[in-house]
Amino acid sequence: MAKKNTAGESGKKNYGAWIAAVVLSVFWMLVTFVPFSFMVMTGFKQKIETIMYGAFHMPEKFYPDNYKGVITDPTFWTYFRNSVIVLIISLIILLFISACAAYPLSRFKFKLRGPIYFLIVAAMSVPMHVTLIPVFNMTINMGLYDTIWALIPTNVAFATPISVFILTGFMEGIPKELEEAADIDGCGRFGRFFKVILPLSTPGLSTLAIYNGVNMWNEFIFAFTLTQSESNRTLPLALWNYQGQYSSNTAMIMACLTLSVLPMIILFIFMQEKLVKGMMAGAVKG
Amino acid sequence: MKGSTTLAKRRQRASAICAAVFLTPVIILMLVYFVYPIIATFANSLTRWNGISPEKIFVGSYNWNKLIHDAKFWKAFGNNIKVMAISLIVQMPIGILLATFLDAGGKKFNIFKIIWFLPLLMSSVAVGYLFHYALATNSGIFTAISELFGGGKVDLLGNQGTALYAVIGVICWQFIPFYMVYYMAGYSSIDESLYEAAIVDGATRTQYVTKIALPMLVPTIKSAIVLSITGSLKYFDLVYVMTGGGPGESTELMATYMYKESFSKYNMGYGSSIAGGMFILITLIAGVTMYVMNRKKED
Amino acid sequence: MKKKVIAAIMAAAMVVTSLTACGGKKPTVPADAAGSAEAGAVESGASDAAAPAASTGDDKTISFWNIATDEPDKTIWSYAVDQYNANDSATSGYTIDQVATVNDQYKQKLSVAMSAGECPDVYLHWTGGPMREYIKSGYAQDITAIVDELGLRDKYNEAALEQCTVDGKIYALPVKNQSVAVVFYDKALWKDKGYEIPKTIDELEALCDKMKADGITPFALANSAQWTGSMYYCYLVARYGGSEVITDAYNQSGSLVNDATKYAGDKISEWVTKGYFPEGVNSLSPDNGEDRALLYQGAGMMLHGSWQVASIKSENPDFYENLGAFPFPQVSDSSADQTAVLGTLGDNFLSFNCTGDKLKEAVKMAAYYASDEWKQLDIDNGNLPPLKGATSEEPAWKDIIGIIENASSVQLWWDQYLPSSVAEVHKSSTQKLFDNSESSEDVAKEQQDALDEYFSENSGS
Repeated sequence: MAKKNTAGESGKKNYGAWIAAVVLSVFWMLVTFVPFSFMVMTGFKQKIETIMYGAFHMPEKFYPDNYKGVITDPTFWTYFRNSVIVLIISLIILLFISACAAYPLSRFKFKLRGPIYFLIVAAMSVPMHVTLIPVFNMTINMGLYDTIWALIPTNVAFATPISVFILTGFMEGIPKELEEAADIDGCGRFGRFFKVILPLSTPGLSTLAIYNGVNMWNEFIFAFTLTQSESNRTLPLALWNYQGQYSSNTAMIMACLTLSVLPMIILFIFMQEKLVKGMMAGAVKG
Repeated sequence: MKGSTTLAKRRQRASAICAAVFLTPVIILMLVYFVYPIIATFANSLTRWNGISPEKIFVGSYNWNKLIHDAKFWKAFGNNIKVMAISLIVQMPIGILLATFLDAGGKKFNIFKIIWFLPLLMSSVAVGYLFHYALATNSGIFTAISELFGGGKVDLLGNQGTALYAVIGVICWQFIPFYMVYYMAGYSSIDESLYEAAIVDGATRTQYVTKIALPMLVPTIKSAIVLSITGSLKYFDLVYVMTGGGPGESTELMATYMYKESFSKYNMGYGSSIAGGMFILITLIAGVTMYVMNRKKED
Repeated sequence: MKKKVIAAIMAAAMVVTSLTACGGKKPTVPADAAGSAEAGAVESGASDAAAPAASTGDDKTISFWNIATDEPDKTIWSYAVDQYNANDSATSGYTIDQVATVNDQYKQKLSVAMSAGECPDVYLHWTGGPMREYIKSGYAQDITAIVDELGLRDKYNEAALEQCTVDGKIYALPVKNQSVAVVFYDKALWKDKGYEIPKTIDELEALCDKMKADGITPFALANSAQWTGSMYYCYLVARYGGSEVITDAYNQSGSLVNDATKYAGDKISEWVTKGYFPEGVNSLSPDNGEDRALLYQGAGMMLHGSWQVASIKSENPDFYENLGAFPFPQVSDSSADQTAVLGTLGDNFLSFNCTGDKLKEAVKMAAYYASDEWKQLDIDNGNLPPLKGATSEEPAWKDIIGIIENASSVQLWWDQYLPSSVAEVHKSSTQKLFDNSESSEDVAKEQQDALDEYFSENSGS
């Protein structure tokens, strides 16, 4: 698994290029990290500070009450629990059905392949807001309105086109020979899918898990349209406690946003391991 | 499923059945969550409807005529094209660069990977708030930099000439990490042995990247282009959060325009024709792009 | 092994998904479908009117939607709900179920629910254009008889109730605050600099020039929300041409392309050129309190709604001590009424979408917002309730009450008064005055065109 040749070693010839790359990398790190750090820091400010000086200003003094306020709010944890449940179930269903759909689209030849692929791309062109009213009606008719279960079909459905599209492309890149080898071993199509294709798609699936996971975690349009009781809300709606008709409490909002993003950072640190090169070789051996 | 048989026909039929089984859940979702709403949208676009009343008045092609002659819609479309073009020009290369760097660095560079990915983890609400302040005239970062060099205050979001570009910049900031991990996934499926073989043949890392890795990344890049195009043409979030389409109509996008007509102005009929128009334009542009890219492959 | 378990979960998931899909396949026409779906649950007696109503939940629950997501709004709004559920539920059998949605997304949630025939029984709105849509669509019931029966008419401020009345029928009840636009200023700063309250536009301009010379930005305005800058426009139009300018335009007896709108547009352009407004005015956000921040940091004055009193009191008590308010200055040689105020006497209003007993009980609940106890609660939270005899001992409120009492009429903010489709154009076009990107004539014409389009499209129905 360990890579012998990283760029650092082969760098004797282009030492200068390497330095430039590191300088640019550090610069980019600042570009991505500075806004994030001010989100965290603004959570430690008093409301009047954010009003007077905005977010990009060092806190005058460390004021932990915002974070305490969010953490000790029981509704925050209710929303948190709902978000976790919705996220996990949605993600599992999404990844599985997307992989299922991408498999025949990428590797079989059949008549409807073209039209179905077109349907997927066309679905990516549908503006989400036009689906609000039909989805609301369906949710009511199914009796799912104002339950967290209403959010699972929408989360899955709206992530499906992009996921199938990405996975189809990914699976097309898996060498045919690997699948044929499994065929000789006596695996049927389903066997090949589970034993060869699915493991080899891990980097693609991880990318999708990360991207869609973040989107589902932050999703709020359907969350507020399809639920109404406080007990059925998800985390993005936790901000509402600090937003009024004429003013909002930026410091509290930032504290709440910071706490909301932490689980996603942990998920990313965990999932990004799967993106490392060498997956392919390992999968074939196993 | 029966085992493999020598008859090609039987095999093909088995493939079709297998495909049907695998595709059914996704197709059902597509029909329910995309086909049905878009048909309903086209049906509503033929009516005058305030979006709340049980009463819809059939007006035929009235809304579509209005749409074709609506300067605001075409301005919004133009803005979407700008979002698309700049997203492609900025996000793709930077995404590839970052992914290449991380691919070369391996595990040592995990800290870069995690920090570079932060923008995508943050919700659009968070990004909107932060960049509202970052771009602010009084206490913003750009004003601070300008004043450092003796310049005056910089008003990016309140200026009709710059507001759109400022928001596009933020959109790029948020989405570059997505393309970064996407290309990383692309790199990860390139066989390690190819790299080893290239090094044995005396190639440098740069030569490996340009001669071997990047060409193998082309299918990933093509998919990324399609994703970026559809994503930018129906973009909504940060514009809605940061400028609401203003100042004036300078940052209005098709999706925000549609939203306003449908939910703020109580013109659901006309809003539906905007959505229908969007759908046609985006599908067309994405379709043509895919056609052109795949034709080249065949040459 | 592990894979088999996963496969089993997946299979279950797929079944759920397809079931979901089956349920959704019924093509639905909003009102009818909702009606039939809920047919079993809807009590026949409660749905005798033509209202396309079918509220979520059972028929003994009165659903009540508002925007009280943060404090002190939560306390203010929960009062009537708690009172009703504690005192009246036992006898009437009805209970109130309150749902708060944040202001930004509230209108959209309400629209979607209404389109599906799931309009709540009681809901908050801001009267004006949207209320007319709700009435037209059958979601707001005439409550005149119940208001009289319960003797509520005498409790409310007349002008506030007038705002709820269409064609002589009452469709809503005012609740929260007497919101009028006044000019706020820092008494200490003005005393220190020797500034005097300007009575006329000429005096205002002279004062602004003086402020500029002192290095002070005259107006604290944050105009990314657009309606904030619109207040300057509306006031200037009203001072020059009177409230009739906008009412005539809405009644199709006049055009917005006239001297008054030209005067207003040109004045704003001139003030922009002279630097009376802060830099980056169109990007500053009132939601983040960036206009108040300018005032705290020494800007000259702030034209804003009276709800700012409560915000300033809670976030900057030191500044609050010196907070004063005066009416928008007059145009000296105009024949128009110079005392009119721009505002909304109620701020938030409640309409009712139920019938029979349920409607009566819902109004009874809302009547708690007219009780003496609630009145005091509202006042204590920095508001001035739209009720007769409401007063406040807060110094800034005293100034404002004086302005309201002296006013001959109240002009509703244009963006609420106008039909929603025109209101959006009004907001985005007037914003263009604040960066001088459009002339006053074009701004007026843009608004008039939107009005014309509205009337031509709605003349049939």
